[in-house]
Amino acid sequence: MLSYLVRRIPSAVGVLFAASFLIFLMLRLIPGDPVDALAGQDATQESRDAIRADLGLDKPFWSQYVSWLGGLFRLDLGQSYRIGGDVGDLLRNGALNTVVLTVAALLIALVLALVTSLVAVIRDSRWLNAALNAVNTIGLALPTFASGLLLVLVFAVVFPLLPSGGTPPEGYLARPDISVQYLLLPAFCLALPVWAGLSRFLTEALRSQLRQPYITTARAAGVSRTRLVVRHALPNALPSAVTVLGIQVGTLLGGAVLVEQIFTWPGLGSLIELAISGRDYPVVQVLLLLSVAVFVVTQLLTDVLQAWLDPRIRIGGAR
Amino acid sequence: MNVPHRQAWLRLLTAAVALCLLSACTSAVGEQARRRSSGEPVDGGTLRVAALTDLIPASVFGQSSNGGNAVIGLVYDSLVEYPHDSLEARPALATSWKVAKDGRSIHLELRDDVRFHDGKPFTSEDVKFSIRTIADPKWAVQLQRTAAAVTGFDTSDPHAITLTFDRPLSNILDLLDIVPIVDKDTFSQVKAGTGYNGTGAFRFDEWKPNSEISFSRNDDYWGGKPHLDGVDVKIVPDPQAQAAGIRSGQYDLLLGATARDAETFSKDPKYEVLDFEGATQQTYVGFNLKNPDLKDVRLRQAVAFAVDRERILDEVYRGEGIAQNLSWSPGSPAYDEKAAHHYDRDVDKARELVDGLGSVASLPLQYIAGDPTAEAVAQIVQANLDDVGITVDLEPVEYAQMYQRLVGADYDGLWIFGHTYAQYTPATLPVSAYPFNAEHNASNFLSPGYAAHADQAWAAAAPDGPKAKRAYAGLNADMVDNVWLTDLVTFWPRLVTTSAIHDIDYTKRTELIARDAWKDQ
Repeated sequence: MLSYLVRRIPSAVGVLFAASFLIFLMLRLIPGDPVDALAGQDATQESRDAIRADLGLDKPFWSQYVSWLGGLFRLDLGQSYRIGGDVGDLLRNGALNTVVLTVAALLIALVLALVTSLVAVIRDSRWLNAALNAVNTIGLALPTFASGLLLVLVFAVVFPLLPSGGTPPEGYLARPDISVQYLLLPAFCLALPVWAGLSRFLTEALRSQLRQPYITTARAAGVSRTRLVVRHALPNALPSAVTVLGIQVGTLLGGAVLVEQIFTWPGLGSLIELAISGRDYPVVQVLLLLSVAVFVVTQLLTDVLQAWLDPRIRIGGAR
Repeated sequence: MNVPHRQAWLRLLTAAVALCLLSACTSAVGEQARRRSSGEPVDGGTLRVAALTDLIPASVFGQSSNGGNAVIGLVYDSLVEYPHDSLEARPALATSWKVAKDGRSIHLELRDDVRFHDGKPFTSEDVKFSIRTIADPKWAVQLQRTAAAVTGFDTSDPHAITLTFDRPLSNILDLLDIVPIVDKDTFSQVKAGTGYNGTGAFRFDEWKPNSEISFSRNDDYWGGKPHLDGVDVKIVPDPQAQAAGIRSGQYDLLLGATARDAETFSKDPKYEVLDFEGATQQTYVGFNLKNPDLKDVRLRQAVAFAVDRERILDEVYRGEGIAQNLSWSPGSPAYDEKAAHHYDRDVDKARELVDGLGSVASLPLQYIAGDPTAEAVAQIVQANLDDVGITVDLEPVEYAQMYQRLVGADYDGLWIFGHTYAQYTPATLPVSAYPFNAEHNASNFLSPGYAAHADQAWAAAAPDGPKAKRAYAGLNADMVDNVWLTDLVTFWPRLVTTSAIHDIDYTKRTELIARDAWKDQ
């Protein structure tokens, strides 16, 4: 197993090296110059030259690349050109906010999907099903920017119950009651399509289980419908729902970019948007490389997991 | 797989109810809601500001951003201050000043009761350091050329300074109004965004990139203790989110309301909209003279006659501004009403000019992608030009590329952008505002006559004297005759506040001033 893992690591490192070079090169090929973005329209050529030298952008391409790579090995992610500050600090703050938001959204989606699916299957009422179907369809069809603005309008403007955006002023832990209120609208907005998709899938999976012979037997033994669904059908329906949830997590992370904009949530999504528009090379480079690294590590773990579960893969790999 | 039994469900339900109750303990919105009005200035409270754009430490003195302007306006003082509606400088850190007859020096008496936030006394050495900082090209400050022309500093008296110039500078007071007085000893913190040590009414506390900037009251402020306890600037890049935030009680003041939002808020007694007419900005159509068609001045004049500035002012800027083809506001010494309206819409004249050209190729019109104001202006311009037989293709361009093309004077044909600096001494526009720069500009327009007029305006000892006025007349004639760009609308920032906020002020450069501001308790 260990030797299998060791064999896979060089290719993963190779991919990361190649990605680092491509990212570095591509950023310098796209139109737009960080010096222009920083200097402003009225700056003289003398100012531009001074800023370029100050940022080290007057050095040869290879020198800049090696210097950046060397910094990465020393865990020095560099200084942001335009946003300002240490790239590592920017990344940590943004990542914390994005993780809090996505985890909260995931929890909301999970709980809501579980509750609505169970209620729909246990009650099996025509009207209830129709209502839940309608909610699911809206949840799936409504784009995040529309649902976000709608939520703000209703819960922050017309009925000012919750903040319209921003993060808790004193951090997440100092005042949990306040933090929950700040999180509710953006997390619910992000959770909406995931809840709708998951709820629809879980409801169908539960109904499919209810048609199985073991359920008929249990029903004949006088087991109540609630117990049948919760104790017997749900455990068998959950594994496939977890697979769907795994796919939905990707949707969640992608959706976070938009939701962060709507709710002024300073996470990684808004950070990368800001960095790209200002041609803030050090920030964009690290964020793109990080996304590649996450993908590579996930692939590596998946391969290892599969090899662990299926010995044929290990053997095949040994040949 | 085990299924949670009834007790587990009950526990989950209890936890959910407990969380709901916990949430109900204190309302985040309730905590933000403003308090009752008392009518008289009172001390206390924090001003909560929503800003569109964050502080950019590496260009805090050069490029305008809401966050950067808040830092400059709140933390720093300048030597003199211009009122909104004139160029009659008022004392600030300088109590009096005298410009030499030949215009080659200025002597300033300085306040002797001023300290920086860290307790260090303010002296003439700080003035010297501040002007030298602005003269450093690295900071890309618009008045860098003027600052660089200050070559002598007599700092023998800590409370007076004499500045000497290598040429007469008619806009020296512009420089003294714009230069923030910084502290040499702590200046290294500025570029990192970790510290801003000034003499202003508020101390800089902390900056969280892409999130917020916080300030607290300077109790020892030389102009008297401010009323507010502090100012919190939140970065809210979406104008819609800003509008929702002020309505929900989250913010007291918006720095990024759209013209339409400002109009809506102005009709609601719960809000106030403050116009800062002295801090003017302009939207213009530029022409790249390297485009073979646009080399012919008749085509540029046809465009200038064809655009419907009044419609742009009404529809896009909701009537808040001035529709004119030159940048000077009526209070400027260079203002000439006839020249400013030379290109008032005249479709017949535009058609006549186009007919005289024979066939006109389709022209690209570039503007900032995703900017609703630029997009609306571009669509109106396109329709106006179509009326006179000029076809333009709209080309939205990403912001960073728009800058690159502007700086590289590399637009394909026409473009729409904004500029400022017409609110200062007229010489500042052709010397410091890039679209008008006589030596190098985005239109690739070079004219010895224009350069001479710009130089004469800059060298005039008295900015409103007869010599200067002759130079301004020359500049106006150059702009009207050559039309390398044509202004569409002169407008000013509109600040939205709740009616609980009073006495907010702004500099000509749109920097936030809150030293007299107060909040209802």
